[in-house]
Amino acid sequence: MKSGDAGFITTTVEKALTWARSNSIWPLTFGLACCAIEMMSVQASRLDVSRFGSEVFRNSPRQSDLMIVAGTVTKKMAPRLKRLYDEMPYPKYVIAMGVCVIQGGPYVKGYSVVLGVDKVVPVDVYVPGCPPTPEALTYGIVTLQEKIRGETDR
Amino acid sequence: MSEPESDSISKGKDGLTIHTVSKDRLLEFMKDMKERGFNHLSLITGVDRRDYVEVVYHLHAMDRDEYVVVKTTTDNGVVPSMTSLWNSARWDEREQYDLMGIKFEGHENLKRIFLPENWVGHPLRKDYDLSNVQYINMDEDGEDYATFDQGDGW
Repeated sequence: MKSGDAGFITTTVEKALTWARSNSIWPLTFGLACCAIEMMSVQASRLDVSRFGSEVFRNSPRQSDLMIVAGTVTKKMAPRLKRLYDEMPYPKYVIAMGVCVIQGGPYVKGYSVVLGVDKVVPVDVYVPGCPPTPEALTYGIVTLQEKIRGETDR
Repeated sequence: MSEPESDSISKGKDGLTIHTVSKDRLLEFMKDMKERGFNHLSLITGVDRRDYVEVVYHLHAMDRDEYVVVKTTTDNGVVPSMTSLWNSARWDEREQYDLMGIKFEGHENLKRIFLPENWVGHPLRKDYDLSNVQYINMDEDGEDYATFDQGDGW
């Protein structure tokens, strides 16, 4: 962006759109296990994710842009998760939060857990940890914003 | 207070009294135990001994805080249901049916409680094949079905 002396700003439509889009990511209220507690504390006053424009956790997939998969995805849950993802409008993003969601974590030798939610829905940002700290999830959301703005190739 | 007669009495490592009862006399025995103040069935679990299945009941007398363990064995995986004595047996027995494949005669709603309805096998049995990975998908009516290859939802 360039600001001139005359008091106006020039930019491209693309930049303006992605800037607006990245700073109003509304996540879906979707907690599956203990990681959801950390996700809630990210939303609450102490770590306040609304500083980054993600404060509104929507209760309907039709109003949300981001699905934070917070917690172990069981095989029974996987088709439900897929259905919720399909109900979200484009553009939509997915954050895989915690090692259970990334590759199965402590349940990797179990019979009932999906070994990586990327087998079911496409994932944009992986946040490792068991559970990840709220700061890590905040960093994951900021990384997603950079990705939406095209500032990162990660 | 005299206990009803069981086939053999022993002491567990934790000091609990263990009654071993044949499954034909189990319901009658449990009825006597309930009359003697064991008003809470705190747990039902199963042990797969390969040749036979052992079913373990933990009873609790709330008034005098006394615990007792009742064990029975079955060759064909069928034991009488305790739902006529304790209502909490309804879910405990469904859990044991789900994971161990023990059938409880007289249970009016004996179906899986954790795993999807059409899951193949009972995962806590010794002969359950963990290498045969199952995938769950949901059809139009919301019914789950299990496949052994990655279906369209995965």
